[in-house]
Amino acid sequence: MFGYPKKAIVLSAISALIFGANAEPLRFNHDIRPILSDNCFRCHGPDKNQRKKGLRLDIREQAIEKKAFVPGKPEDSKLVTHIFSTDPDEIMPPPESNKKLTAEQKEILKRWIAEGAQYEPHWAYIKPVKAPLPAVKNKKWVSNQIDPFILQQLEAKNWTPSPEADKRTLLRRLSLDLTGLPPTLDELNAFLRDNSSHAYEKQVDRLLASPHYGECMAVPWLDVARFSDTVGYHGDQNQRIFPYRDYVINAFNNNKPFDQFTIEQLAGDLLPHPTDEQLVATGFNRLNMMTREGGAQPKEYLAKYGADRVRTVSGAFLGSTMACCECHDHKFDPFKTRDFYSMKAFFADVKQWGVYADYGYTPNPELRGVGNEHPFYPEIEVDSPYLKSRMADFTKRIDTAIADASKKMNKQQKKNFDVWRKWSTDFVKVHTNGWFTPTPSAQYVKKEMNSTPNTNFVIEASGNIQFVGKPGDTEVSLPLSNGLWLSAIRVELVPDKKLAVPTKKKRPTDSSISFTAKLENGTNKTSLDFYHAEADHKKDRFSNGASVIGVKDMWQPDPDLDNELQTAVWVLSKPVHLSTNETLKLDFKENGVAALRISVSPFAATAPMASGANDALAKALRKNDRSNLQTTYYLSTAWDTNTLADVRKWQREVLECRNGRAYTMVTKQMEPMVTHILPRGNWQDDSAPIVEPATPAFLPAPPNPTNRRLTRLDLAQWIVSPDNPLTSRAIMNRMWKQFFGTGISATVEDLGTQGDPPSHPELLDWLAVEFQESGWNIKHMVKLMVMSSTYREASNLRSPMRDEDPNDRLLSAQEPRRLDAEFVRDNALSIAGLINLQVGGPSAFPYQPAGYYANIQFPERDYYPDKDDRQYRRGIYAHWQRTFLQPMLANFDAPSREESVCTRNISNSPQQALTLLNDPTFVECSRVFAQNVLLQKSKTDDGRLDYAFEKALARPIKQNEKHSLLEFLNQQRQNVAEHKDDPDKLMHVGIAPTTSTLDKNELTAWTQVCRVILNMHETITRY
Amino acid sequence: MNNHFDPEKFVQSINRRTFLRNAAYGLGGLALASLLDPGLLRGAQAAVIKKGKWHGIVNPPHFPIRTRRIIHLCMAGGPSHLESFDFKPKLKELDGKPFPESFTKGQQLAQLQGAELKARGPFCEFKKWGKSGQEISTLFPYIGSIADKICIVRSMHTEQINHDPAHAFMNSGSQIKGRPSMGSWLLYGLGAETDSLPGFVVLTSRGKSGLQPISARQWSSGFLASKFQGVLFQSKGNAVHYVGNPDGVCQSTQRQVIDEINRLNGFTAEEHYDPEIATRISQYELAFRMQTSVPELTDFKKEPQNILDLYGIKEPGDGTFASNCLLARRLAERGVRFIQLYHRAWDHHGNLEADFPGAAKDVDQASAALVKDLEQRGLLDDTLVLWGGEFGRTPMGQGSGRDHHINAFSMWLAGGGVKGGLTWGQTDELGYKYIDDAQKMHVHDLHATMLYLCGIDHKRLTYRYQGRDFRLTDVSGEVARGIIA
Repeated sequence: MFGYPKKAIVLSAISALIFGANAEPLRFNHDIRPILSDNCFRCHGPDKNQRKKGLRLDIREQAIEKKAFVPGKPEDSKLVTHIFSTDPDEIMPPPESNKKLTAEQKEILKRWIAEGAQYEPHWAYIKPVKAPLPAVKNKKWVSNQIDPFILQQLEAKNWTPSPEADKRTLLRRLSLDLTGLPPTLDELNAFLRDNSSHAYEKQVDRLLASPHYGECMAVPWLDVARFSDTVGYHGDQNQRIFPYRDYVINAFNNNKPFDQFTIEQLAGDLLPHPTDEQLVATGFNRLNMMTREGGAQPKEYLAKYGADRVRTVSGAFLGSTMACCECHDHKFDPFKTRDFYSMKAFFADVKQWGVYADYGYTPNPELRGVGNEHPFYPEIEVDSPYLKSRMADFTKRIDTAIADASKKMNKQQKKNFDVWRKWSTDFVKVHTNGWFTPTPSAQYVKKEMNSTPNTNFVIEASGNIQFVGKPGDTEVSLPLSNGLWLSAIRVELVPDKKLAVPTKKKRPTDSSISFTAKLENGTNKTSLDFYHAEADHKKDRFSNGASVIGVKDMWQPDPDLDNELQTAVWVLSKPVHLSTNETLKLDFKENGVAALRISVSPFAATAPMASGANDALAKALRKNDRSNLQTTYYLSTAWDTNTLADVRKWQREVLECRNGRAYTMVTKQMEPMVTHILPRGNWQDDSAPIVEPATPAFLPAPPNPTNRRLTRLDLAQWIVSPDNPLTSRAIMNRMWKQFFGTGISATVEDLGTQGDPPSHPELLDWLAVEFQESGWNIKHMVKLMVMSSTYREASNLRSPMRDEDPNDRLLSAQEPRRLDAEFVRDNALSIAGLINLQVGGPSAFPYQPAGYYANIQFPERDYYPDKDDRQYRRGIYAHWQRTFLQPMLANFDAPSREESVCTRNISNSPQQALTLLNDPTFVECSRVFAQNVLLQKSKTDDGRLDYAFEKALARPIKQNEKHSLLEFLNQQRQNVAEHKDDPDKLMHVGIAPTTSTLDKNELTAWTQVCRVILNMHETITRY
Repeated sequence: MNNHFDPEKFVQSINRRTFLRNAAYGLGGLALASLLDPGLLRGAQAAVIKKGKWHGIVNPPHFPIRTRRIIHLCMAGGPSHLESFDFKPKLKELDGKPFPESFTKGQQLAQLQGAELKARGPFCEFKKWGKSGQEISTLFPYIGSIADKICIVRSMHTEQINHDPAHAFMNSGSQIKGRPSMGSWLLYGLGAETDSLPGFVVLTSRGKSGLQPISARQWSSGFLASKFQGVLFQSKGNAVHYVGNPDGVCQSTQRQVIDEINRLNGFTAEEHYDPEIATRISQYELAFRMQTSVPELTDFKKEPQNILDLYGIKEPGDGTFASNCLLARRLAERGVRFIQLYHRAWDHHGNLEADFPGAAKDVDQASAALVKDLEQRGLLDDTLVLWGGEFGRTPMGQGSGRDHHINAFSMWLAGGGVKGGLTWGQTDELGYKYIDDAQKMHVHDLHATMLYLCGIDHKRLTYRYQGRDFRLTDVSGEVARGIIA
């Protein structure tokens, strides 16, 4: 298919058998290419602009033609002469290159030429095939197809695999690897008790079916997809995208085939009749950083966004580094500059703006009025199951609270209710819709600087107030009589025939409406506070990327509905019962509307627009149908302030759920922009040719018989086509890293010639083919990996492997691995029993040092940590601010996701120690963990330590540990007794309540013990 | 470099098999292990790395070291060179008249794109200062008073015209994310001189108007190990995140907690082969040292009044630029390798005549005081102070201000082996573009020169990432030898 000789594959399969043996012929890919690529290809490789003396060493025929070497005759080969030379003018590589061959490398090159200087195509660019499973001696050890590949190399060295890890270690490893959570004690005990032959597999299946599997698997993909909550450039504003994260989690949980996963993300919008889910997936293409910096040039930023997509796609799916080709042909791999821009051209139809704001220097009708607070279009609105269920939860709480209160009414309360019912029944007889329009008066409020009144009024009998003249602050007064329950205020914008033809400056709906309200009775003034307001028509307003909920602080009527009645209703936080005649005064700020009518109602509803009365309410009032009256009663009166306060709190939560709907950025297709090759990446240089979408030229092209313009859908299908040698290898290599610590090729981000040659090339190829043949079945591949004997090895590297294979590339043991940032958090929250395991939904706000966002502007940002159970959401849901990533996550190497990354650093820093010691999250976890330790059934120090260790590490405490910790515990008791530490302060770190039944001194001492346990290296490491 | 001891290669040789792994098996663990088991390292090599701190990849240095530490006073937003260090009388004459098209044709503009271009003359006076007679605007009288100590570079130019990428370019030599910033490169190259404070510290102050956001990526270590990244000191709360004990926990308890953690980790290490445990133990020790040294560092009580007055500090530790300058000196004294101060108030698209003098007043006295204070302590000889923004401003007006400009801007350098009283490079008569290629100073040239002063050949300070050897100076950069004393 690729025109490559089959020999190469057979050759490499054979040579794997002789891994490490010196007498065998040298292999180009394994022994020679790394040397040439590292030292020679820069000047004698694929990049024609850098090529010296017209010589290239990456193609055998051309190297021979230029007489670089004579196969079989090192003594006649110029290459040999140059590399062994000591003359600075002759030696290769030249001194100024800062490259130097070792004596060993020189000998290898010489020997290779002596052996005939055979080449192989680079392994990753050949279509993978399944080699037969290697024959091994210790057949008993083999659990599945993975193991022979590993065992073969171990046996070649006369090494044995490590023994299987003990059951506790295995379950903890498996749980952390598959769900990012430690096993619970129940799960652990069930596994320990299960002596069946399939006990381990049952656990694998259980964890693969867990909803937390998807969260765990999503984390590395979100790095690759550069998922974040903010745009990254300059003001780093919020973007709306969390449904995409939920899509990724669900995709893994539902085991969406990887080919479909790929197609939906790159081209879901191009599928026939795309579902909401498929559109949400296309958020992938929108996760590049974006700007709305003043002075930024749209064209320049469109070039940046396009380049980002090429880097992302090549890294995420192809395991390749195409970034270099933005400016020049790749120096080591066969990617060309043209390939870079042809790849970019696939995305030329993605609708977006270079600069997401309305600036005078770059007028754009589609962005009129867009400023720092606006979202980043295009978006769609979709269902969020998380928000829906949260809304249902709070709605239920409201209903239950009202029903309970209604049931528990005492005599006085029942009497109150009857008074209300009778008064209300009379009221609706007169005001059938429940609204009453008092005759208003109005006056212009004089501003200090401006003494002439410039607003006048015409009051009509209907209660309409017509505003004449320039906008100004206005006070409207409405007489209300004694006995009324004031629960809601309605403002109607009345279409006015006289103003039906608006002037340019003044339209009936030209102004926004905002007011403050008070009740006045002589000198007695009560200001009124509103819980919520809504309107039937409005212009959306935004705050830091989110739609402002309701119109409470400001109502901007819909400017396109000049000639229609527009209505908004404000509901009072606490309804007021008028015991005397009073005046309702509304102070309108800068009112510029033409005509208003203001009414009041004693009947408030949950949805403001449903306030007032209707036939059903009138009937219920008449019939004293309490079950149908109770909601209106509690929302419209303030006689039961406790219930009302609870209800208001939960109503606010319901509002925040936005009807269970959420906006998310998507790919929307437009007429493709022209894509030029940009010489040296210069976006201002249009001199180079225009390119059409195309896949890299050296790889097999997607079918295109009619020669039409290829689309993102073609690209996606090409990526997951069986002919593509890179994708399945890249994905399997990364997955291997996830479960074994290191990729089969250690450079998971670069399978090119400069990458690490795979330690087990035939295994990688076998996995790549199996992945395709299984229908791109992720769970199948995960299960294969974790079911292998290799995975189940103990992680204690033995001698002589410690010296001879210190990085454990031959897998003679599992590899201990520090948990990724999110799971360091999740693990501590789980051990403490604080974790909130809800799946999906908007990002949450864990504690963060105050003032951390002080350097962000446009708009200025503040950070409000969650004050309810959202504080304990998993790390994957933490608000991801690209310019200032949450410090705990950053300290544990979570990437900022400004760029797509395929691999995280795993550092070991003092900042990590400081975080685990002092970050409020971990201090709070320690004290709540201590509380649980003290509350469980064992009441001895010994028993408590046993419990704590099993809970934290899934293993019993060892004698030396117990001895040491008991001494430490007593030392801490003494410290508290001597008032060195302050329990009252320590017990109030974090929002979790303290248990009052516990002795606070004892709790403090145990909190220190739990801090030690949560800080242990073993706690944050999966062994 | 092959002739010299190279700690990274040494670690690899201990491991016998080379494998690209930057951080996981860091030096810390090995160094600590060597303390526990001196037999692990032998002879002179052990002597080189016996302490826990990082000793740099360039060891010994390529050139004599002139600069041991750098303090970068970054005027974020892009100060106008035309009102500070580059006097253009001709531009003043042209004030309000059309800007000659010969200068601007085909050039990249920011917000002025498509607008009618008019010259804006400098609104302030210039004066010749000191014996050297360097020309500096009268808005900077204190900096004027150290004119003989500083080298003004008028031929700066860059490639990025918007703040965010321009900062990235000034810091990392690239506008692409994920590249290490210069402080990280320097720390990677030269190593740390302290093991109780981070080797690369960032301080920010707001200023009054023309505010610009600044991102943590500006001090990122990119693909280098995260131990080389800059640490932002907060002006509120703990200077370093999580450096304070939890509420209610005293220092002796904290010490006991750390001792106990380390003891238990030691038990694990005895039973389980995991080199990371030894590193973890050493990092807890380092963390505790930071818990002690950071409060000492930020405690200004011992600073006498005359020093506070020298900097113009009203309230020590108030997060102003002046207070940060004093803190920078204290960091420099304690061996911090790279200190970066951002003053975020130089984006004067409008209201230049009111806001620019305000910003100048914010920084003038303290910038000069820092140079004087370093000098009186004998630190200026091997401390390089660098002053300037990410780009300059257009000689064309933009309303009441100036737009971004990349073809010419000014910076100054002092100390660290740089000639004082020297003006390097010049611009055309309107201050639009640098002229005289012999004295040009591209950002890459500035980086090459800074590294040279630190004893490093910028072409030989490389790091392999994604198959390529990366440099701070990418593929260019020339050392401006003319400015070196």
